[in-house]
Amino acid sequence: MPSLVDVQDICKVYNPGENEVRALDHVSLTIEQGEFVAIIGQSGSGKSTLMNMLGCLDTPTSGKYYLNGVDVSHMTDDQQSDVRNREIGFIFQGFNLIQSLTALENVELPLMYRGVAKKTRMELSKAALENVGLAKRMDHKPTELSGGQQQRVAIARAIAQAPPILLADEPTGNLDSGSSKEIINTIKSLHAEGRTVILITHDPGIAHQAKRIITISDGKIASDVINEDYKPM
Amino acid sequence: MEYLKSALASIRHNKGRSFLTMLGIIIGIASVITILAIGNGMKTYVNTSLDEITNGAVTINIDPKKTDRFLTPANLDTIEGAVNEIYGLTPRFSGNVGCHMREDMIVFLEGGAPIVEREFTDGMYKGHCFKEDDVEGARSVGVVDQRTAILLFGTDDVIDKTIEVTYNTGSTEITIIGVAASTPDRIAQAKQARQLRQESYYYCDVYVPYTLLTQKMGYVDEKITSFQLYTLPGMADEAALKVKAAAENILSLRGEGAVKIQSFASMAAMYNNILNVVTLVVALIAAISLVVGGIGVMNIMTVTVTERTREIGIRKSLGARTSMVLMQFLTESAVITLIGGIIGMIMGFIFTKIAESFMPFAPVISPMHVLLVVSISIADGLFFGIYPARRAAKLDPIEALRQE
Repeated sequence: MPSLVDVQDICKVYNPGENEVRALDHVSLTIEQGEFVAIIGQSGSGKSTLMNMLGCLDTPTSGKYYLNGVDVSHMTDDQQSDVRNREIGFIFQGFNLIQSLTALENVELPLMYRGVAKKTRMELSKAALENVGLAKRMDHKPTELSGGQQQRVAIARAIAQAPPILLADEPTGNLDSGSSKEIINTIKSLHAEGRTVILITHDPGIAHQAKRIITISDGKIASDVINEDYKPM
Repeated sequence: MEYLKSALASIRHNKGRSFLTMLGIIIGIASVITILAIGNGMKTYVNTSLDEITNGAVTINIDPKKTDRFLTPANLDTIEGAVNEIYGLTPRFSGNVGCHMREDMIVFLEGGAPIVEREFTDGMYKGHCFKEDDVEGARSVGVVDQRTAILLFGTDDVIDKTIEVTYNTGSTEITIIGVAASTPDRIAQAKQARQLRQESYYYCDVYVPYTLLTQKMGYVDEKITSFQLYTLPGMADEAALKVKAAAENILSLRGEGAVKIQSFASMAAMYNNILNVVTLVVALIAAISLVVGGIGVMNIMTVTVTERTREIGIRKSLGARTSMVLMQFLTESAVITLIGGIIGMIMGFIFTKIAESFMPFAPVISPMHVLLVVSISIADGLFFGIYPARRAAKLDPIEALRQE
């Protein structure tokens, strides 16, 4: 049984030549099904590049990335789109909801791109919104929702089609402490349901909510430890 | 379907701008529809008026510059027997004569066989046309129309009155035995034509047996250079060609171009051709506004793509393929131009209604035009949407998501 995420010796180099920037410098890492991992690093440490790489938004300069046993490191744009659609649920710092669509329509989007029929799509999306406690806000536009609610819509969108990986990039970065707590709890409960969660953050407090903490610095993995203090929900 | 919904949603999201974008298309489609309808209406008008005027009459001339062989009355009988598509035909002689009843009138004697009655398209008002025995006896009897009667006698009750006409070899008194009806329309037309010529003369025709001209005025009935046939409805062209061929055969003038058809049907065809070309050219000029409108759509869509870079990034990160983003934006521009096209069409309908009120004919909008215009407006949006849509589809999701 291959690892869910298997990154082998990945480098990402910008501006190759004299002023080259090594955003990722020979990074290797595996993540198993059902883990709850935080990747922590300062800005410029390469964590965003790693997150783009793990999310199949970018391809490495060298090295291999096996996702669910499939090499996804050298795919075309459309193949990457398909992999993102099938394997990864994104939760972004800025929520990234489409303003002209309702909560429900936003949640439906990845299902639509997958080609799921309208009826099934509605059922799955409603279930996901109920799961994050927004059953009564389905027809609201993002502007009619609070930050915490918007992020929960984004979470519903990420889980609606049950992808193997939830990739959360600073999910609490734009939220007040109350909403942050709420979102972290939601993510924890999703993990408790058996989902694999990768949390990218610069905030040690947030990172400490995870079971395993990978610290990244200067494009390299500085430490990779199990969090002894992990408190499940 | 989903693309359509999302396109409508974003157009609604930006109502004012979407409408302004459509404006060019609206104006373009409205003017194209109006012009096509006016052209169409004009064609119908010309055709029906020509039909009314001619009543299926076709004149055939033999060009005396090209041949010295002409037809005889017996030849005409042969032709009449050989061609089925005609009611009949008549030799035509026409001569200008003097008349002392009014100085400001120019009178023509129009000689023909009794079938010339078919030329009185509004029917007989009083009396009757001359008969076969009037022709055989070369009697001095004639038919005028109501207008001529009133001009000459001040009344249209002129049966058995006489007109004295003079010509270079003598004079004769023609007894009026019939008055052809002139509708008010016809009188108005004659008046208008006279004003157009800016002449102080009235032209009047007196229809008489053609033998009157051949026996008294020096015309030779064995030398018929002009004759007229009256064709069955819708058969004018076919009948004329057959008659022409028969005449050429009799005179052995095949291929010499000496026998010429002068029909209103061929004139109508010519008018139609000219009208078609004019309509097409004007419609093409109007279509330039469609190009301008299309460029407007392209501009706005490019701005939209830039504004919605982040949305495109989101969609791509959620698994939208290049082709899906492309389709989304193409649909959006096509929907904008389609809505513009439909509004333009409604405007076009209104314009043609307005045009109808001060034109002598009704513009005609054909279903073909509606179909054409709808497809043109969709094609306009698709074509000018390609550039912005490709820009959108090619965006790098990471770059796009970074955009605020």
